[in-house]
Amino acid sequence: MKRLLHFIAITALIASAGYAYSIKYETLFYVEQVAKLKSKVQRERDALAVLQAEWQFLDRPDRLQAAADEHLDLQQMKIQQLARLSDLPNRPSREDEIGRKLEALGLLEPTATPKDKTSDARTPSTQTPKR
Amino acid sequence: MPLTSQPVHDLQQKRAPRLSILGHLRELFRMRVDKSTARVGLAAICFAGLFCVIGGRLIYLAVTSDTSSEMRRVTSSEISAARPDIVDRNGEILATDVKMVSVFAEPRNIIDKDEAVELLTAVLPDLDASDLRNKLGTKKGFVWVKREITPRQQAEVHRLGIPGVGFLPENKRIYPNAEAAAHVLGFANVDNVGIAGIEKYIDSQGLQDLNGAGFNITSADLKPVELSIDLRVQHALRDELQKGMAKFKAKAVAGAIMDVNTGEMIALVSLPDYDPNNPVDALADDRINRINVGVFEMGSTFKALTTAMALDSGKFNINSSLDARAGLRYGKFTIGDYHATHRVLTVPEVFIHSSNIGTARMALGIGVEGHKAFLRKMGQLTRLTTELPENAEPIVPGRWGELNTVTIAFGHGLAVAPLQALMAVGALTNGGNLIKPTFLKRDAATALATAVPVIKPETSEAMRYVLRLNASNPAGSASAAAIAGFFVGGKTGTAEKVIHGRYSKNKNLTTFTAVLPADKPKYVFLTIMDEPQAISGTYGFSTAGWNAGPVTGDVIERVAPLLGVPPRFEPPAQPFPLMSRLGAWGTR
Repeated sequence: MKRLLHFIAITALIASAGYAYSIKYETLFYVEQVAKLKSKVQRERDALAVLQAEWQFLDRPDRLQAAADEHLDLQQMKIQQLARLSDLPNRPSREDEIGRKLEALGLLEPTATPKDKTSDARTPSTQTPKR
Repeated sequence: MPLTSQPVHDLQQKRAPRLSILGHLRELFRMRVDKSTARVGLAAICFAGLFCVIGGRLIYLAVTSDTSSEMRRVTSSEISAARPDIVDRNGEILATDVKMVSVFAEPRNIIDKDEAVELLTAVLPDLDASDLRNKLGTKKGFVWVKREITPRQQAEVHRLGIPGVGFLPENKRIYPNAEAAAHVLGFANVDNVGIAGIEKYIDSQGLQDLNGAGFNITSADLKPVELSIDLRVQHALRDELQKGMAKFKAKAVAGAIMDVNTGEMIALVSLPDYDPNNPVDALADDRINRINVGVFEMGSTFKALTTAMALDSGKFNINSSLDARAGLRYGKFTIGDYHATHRVLTVPEVFIHSSNIGTARMALGIGVEGHKAFLRKMGQLTRLTTELPENAEPIVPGRWGELNTVTIAFGHGLAVAPLQALMAVGALTNGGNLIKPTFLKRDAATALATAVPVIKPETSEAMRYVLRLNASNPAGSASAAAIAGFFVGGKTGTAEKVIHGRYSKNKNLTTFTAVLPADKPKYVFLTIMDEPQAISGTYGFSTAGWNAGPVTGDVIERVAPLLGVPPRFEPPAQPFPLMSRLGAWGTR
């Protein structure tokens, strides 16, 4: 009986020690992982800072102005061209103005399609025919 | 003896515990203090000692963190610290940190110093060999070889494989917009310590103390500093001023835009300026920030202050008339008008004709003490301190007699920083609240909490009226800046420069102050030109109406849409109700 108890106690001791060691090594592993990720995050952050600075460097107003002057054929904006959204008139009610004109001219009937496909019935081409 | 007694004990024990399982357990944990006290005591002492050692080690580990190695401690004071980003009011980056690698050496660990010097100078050709040899010859534990090298140089130095030479990542401050906001930002040196401008201000807010105490700060921990500057406006202002400087061949030009309701500086430019990334000539005399480091006699711009003082005192009103028929004699001096009218003028007429005589009479009506007290109230006689560490004290006459009051009334004899004058004009137009200018973003409520009411709202309306009249009336001097659609008001100022103690006749300092829109001011503009020349289009004139005025007009035309001021082509219905009720000159 006593021997059994000793055996159980020793086994429990070894098992718990083993478990503790496995936990410890796992912790070490994760700590390393965390450190790696941290340094990776830091590297990404640094890269981000560099890219942000570069973006601002490329996006700086005097460079944009120089580029616009060189490559674009735009005029200086006039104050008269400015308007607020509230200054715009409301959208007019939609109506078919072209249709009304056609109706007034009596042309609203369906178009007669030409039956024969000879050359003069075709739409005139914009290209010079070959001779 | 113990050998013989042991079996006896065992026998006795074997008999006793058979009683119960509880007895077994008790037997297992019983300490035989009765028999082997000495041995147990010894073991107890051993264990106590062991635990003490373990506990001590634990405390040691907890107190000294694992990262504080020798090298780390030496370098933490050497490498440049992180600084917070600086962004403009829209979040555009004005200054940021990037990581750069620097080479260092530990002279104690370098075996062959001459060889190391030879190899290093071969890879980094711009190093001075004898200087480096001297540095490596010292007994220091740490010296810099070269700061901020390129990744390629780093690879080459790494390939040399010299023991005792290593790399450290450092923060380098960069200003992506180069010159755009140089005078506001200032700059930081190679150790990332702020030397001027907002950079120095950030340090004075406790950043350097934290670094000094050994806190390892990264830029991610620091909140960006939000300035009131608008980068787009700043650039537009600089560009227009640069054009004006070239056109009028001026020695220097400066300009500023302030929000009158919050005191925020939207833009501040002083030309010539410098590149904060390479601030070699930043401290040269002609590169000073003319807006808040230079002090100038502001010329006729100061008449706005005199007029406001006269109207606010109650001794004058908008319809008071002032005799400008002949020059004002004072002792051996005679005060004359540049645009002489030779008649009796009302207050608005005095303002738009920029009559020295009329303005001097107003000041004399108030008296020396009243004049002094008003200017002190407007913050013109004391040093104005903002976030920028650079500032200047106004040059106030030592003995302020009546003659001083006469000349100061029209802007001669008192030199102030232009930022001070701008602050005063802001107070004259915004309803009478003197708000200290700031370079940090803030809202109107916070600004109003610190504002000091200096003049009555009615006086403020009168000032807006005369400023607008000066731009809208054909006789006024500010018509060059009266951009259609923005209801601009303004005042020119031309001060003759003092050369060798005398006022020079042909060297001018011209200023222009504009308020936009005049009926409900939002922004004030200030332009200063140092020695602008008369050019072909100006008919030989070099006064403010011909140079600073049109330049400010160009600035307003370009900047007002950026500032979100909507153009109105019909003038407001009742911009100055009180003035029209009083029937002021020019309302009918």
